[in-house]
Amino acid sequence: MSAGSDSILDAFLYETNTLLEQLDSIVLAAEQQDSFSEDDINTIFRIMHTIKGSSAMMEYNSLMTIAHRAEDLFAIIRDKTMDVVPEELRPELFDLLFQTIDFFRQELEHIENEQPLTEDIDTLLQKVNRLIDQIHSGGQAQPAPAQGGAASAPAAQASSTTATRDGFPYVLQVFFDEGCGMENLRAYMLVSSVKDLCAESDFTYEPQGVDSDPATADQIVESGFLLFFRNQADRDAAIHAVTASGSVRSYQAIDQPAPEPRPAPEPAPAPAAKQAAPAAPAPAPESAPAKAPAQNAPDKKPAPQKAEATHHHKESLISVNLDKLDHLAAVVGEIVITESMVTASPELKGLKLDAFTKSARQLRKLTDELQDVSMSLRMVPVSGTFQKMNRIVRDMCKKLGKQARLVLEGEDTEVDKTIVDSIGDPIMHIVRNSMDHGIEETAQQRIDAGKDPVGEIVLSARHTGSEVIIEIKDDGQGVNYDAVLNKAIRNGLAQPDVEYSHKDILNFLMAPGFSTNTEVTEYSGRGVGMDVVKKNVEEVGGTVIITSEPGQGMTTTLKIPLTMAIMDGMEVSVGGSIFTIPIHNIRQSFKISDSDLVRDAAGGEMFKCMGSFYPVIRMKDLYQMDSGVTRIEDGILIWVDAGEHSYCLFVDELLGEQQVVVKPLPSYLNRFNIKASGISGCTILGDGNISIILDVSNLCTYAQ
Amino acid sequence: MNQAEVLLPTDQPDLADDGAVTVQTEKYLLFLSDELLFGVPAESVAEIITGHAITKLPLVPGYIRGIINLRGQIIPIVDIRRLLNHGDCQSDCMMILRSDDTQVGILVDQVQKMVDIDVSTLLPIPPQSSNDLVCGMCSLEDGQTMLAFDCARLMDHS
Repeated sequence: MSAGSDSILDAFLYETNTLLEQLDSIVLAAEQQDSFSEDDINTIFRIMHTIKGSSAMMEYNSLMTIAHRAEDLFAIIRDKTMDVVPEELRPELFDLLFQTIDFFRQELEHIENEQPLTEDIDTLLQKVNRLIDQIHSGGQAQPAPAQGGAASAPAAQASSTTATRDGFPYVLQVFFDEGCGMENLRAYMLVSSVKDLCAESDFTYEPQGVDSDPATADQIVESGFLLFFRNQADRDAAIHAVTASGSVRSYQAIDQPAPEPRPAPEPAPAPAAKQAAPAAPAPAPESAPAKAPAQNAPDKKPAPQKAEATHHHKESLISVNLDKLDHLAAVVGEIVITESMVTASPELKGLKLDAFTKSARQLRKLTDELQDVSMSLRMVPVSGTFQKMNRIVRDMCKKLGKQARLVLEGEDTEVDKTIVDSIGDPIMHIVRNSMDHGIEETAQQRIDAGKDPVGEIVLSARHTGSEVIIEIKDDGQGVNYDAVLNKAIRNGLAQPDVEYSHKDILNFLMAPGFSTNTEVTEYSGRGVGMDVVKKNVEEVGGTVIITSEPGQGMTTTLKIPLTMAIMDGMEVSVGGSIFTIPIHNIRQSFKISDSDLVRDAAGGEMFKCMGSFYPVIRMKDLYQMDSGVTRIEDGILIWVDAGEHSYCLFVDELLGEQQVVVKPLPSYLNRFNIKASGISGCTILGDGNISIILDVSNLCTYAQ
Repeated sequence: MNQAEVLLPTDQPDLADDGAVTVQTEKYLLFLSDELLFGVPAESVAEIITGHAITKLPLVPGYIRGIINLRGQIIPIVDIRRLLNHGDCQSDCMMILRSDDTQVGILVDQVQKMVDIDVSTLLPIPPQSSNDLVCGMCSLEDGQTMLAFDCARLMDHS
């Protein structure tokens, strides 16, 4: 039982969090435009509606109440377009939305940690109500405003006493199991699932208000829950939904001869009544009534389409427990190894087994595919983490009165899920630092420095072989080396009489307890920023590098190894060992003779290629291997480069190209400084053997 | 090799009920390395395997024989004979030891059997024979002497 409710809770948290993220990005984008598009309003309305419904299911009343009011707010905006919100109220609207999002987030966190929910929601509720009032009073000035969302429910109820609905001739009467309880919420769930099937404007239901008014439960028990449809096809589809949902005792389809649309209670023109959805009966007697249907029709149309599109998009994604993925990866690894054990079994030697060989080849192909798929499962794009920074930049701009924009690059770079989780906090710290210390205090300072008055923070991600590189670059004032050094001396981190290089000074920034800002601000300046960043990144085996140019800004680079990254590598053998060289490091390979080698004074060998000389590093000698090719004619020369290093590696043999999963070496071996000797990790080959992955640039440094 | 049965609770409550002195025992797995009889607490043994190919690593001390692939996990293999300057281990029998989240394999000559050791009979080693990987010794019922293998020391041996 508890496991069941746990999974419902998990689903609720996951779904609501996803919705909040979506909401966050919509509101952020809308704030830039200072207006909501039709699609945005509909989406926000739908999100609030879903949150309200699922919170009600889970009996989180505070969440439900807030979502309900926010939904009301957007019902008004939806019905009367964004123009209903006067210019001066818009900043307030956006702020309120952000507060609402934060409130939901905070409550979800409480739920996750099994803490009690915040009971006191009055402040936020009042703010929402006040805004609604303000919008209303702002709207009064316009000719004849409709009563808005609140009015729709009574109006609908009034016309529904006949248990029929104009324009909705196809009726479905649903009775729930006797004594199943919470009939109103069950009905509400039913409405939600019907909404997935047909447009909201194509059906309505009776009694209204099932999601908020528990009293409707009795009415449903008494006379059933009635669904009215405009089209027969929709009703047929809905019957499936009804049978699929639980606790339904019986249902009955009732056909009514489609009556001519009766004049609506309000003196609206007939075509308008037909087009306006029942949820929005606001065809106000405007001065130009002909315009109303014309406006409504295109407005309504994109909404259902959009709903369908996002619906399908969602269906293609599922969330899976990470443990299961780990398990899958382990099992697939074993399958691959077992497969080669079977097909290469010594007992088969010398036998002529055509059919077997053919099937074995087929199996091989399939297991390879399986391996590829299972490897790619854990990879997720960094976009989620990056998008969150938009919000931080926005909030801090407001708070600090600065102007800055965030530019994202390489959002679709895929990294292992665990890395995505571990880089969120460090990136947030750095972005905050850039906003707080990097970007100049005033726009004037920036103009005086000949820069765009709006500051820019660039957040980029990219892959380089065995690492993900995340760069946070601002075009602010850069690090004031003297100030940092003075501070470091004051804090006892530096000696006053020692000359420090710029690099050393930048490293003080990452020392524990260092903060150059004398004032402690809400966002940064508590002196725990950069050292925490360093610690977090080092925990996943990465490094942090800060570079800065006074007046030009500061760049923080996080280099993080890909624990599970897939990489294209070239397998080479030296002696009995197999090494993998990242394919993007390889420029060319040569078969050469001894006479092609040039020797320098110190006895080092070089090879001339395309007009330059490149040093030759013999793997066998460098790694002091017992066996391996020594005659240059017997082996092969691989010209590699990485950054500023370009040289030739001499190995025994090229074995071929292969996609490999990068695995870190056991941490037990870290003490031998194995990374510095040019080994970045290892990988398991198809036959279960281990290949060592070389780090081309470290290898060169080591050789020197 | 399944170690599950080994990990069963070892105290015998009926003894305590009789009012006798409770004997605190711990299960040790005995193994041979260069004629020496070592014992290692059974709970720190994850697995005993044979016949895994060891991939050599360049530029590490000689006692690190290399790494193996144990069902997708990369595990370093230490030759404790070399570590104790007792020559090379010829056998391919490896004992995977674990402590916290690190796993390290050691090459041993032969794995013998499981014994119950009364914790109070485990004596500290004489200071002059301070051996790197032994944290105690005790006499077994059959008259042999067991050297208690110091797993923790191995894990952070440098």
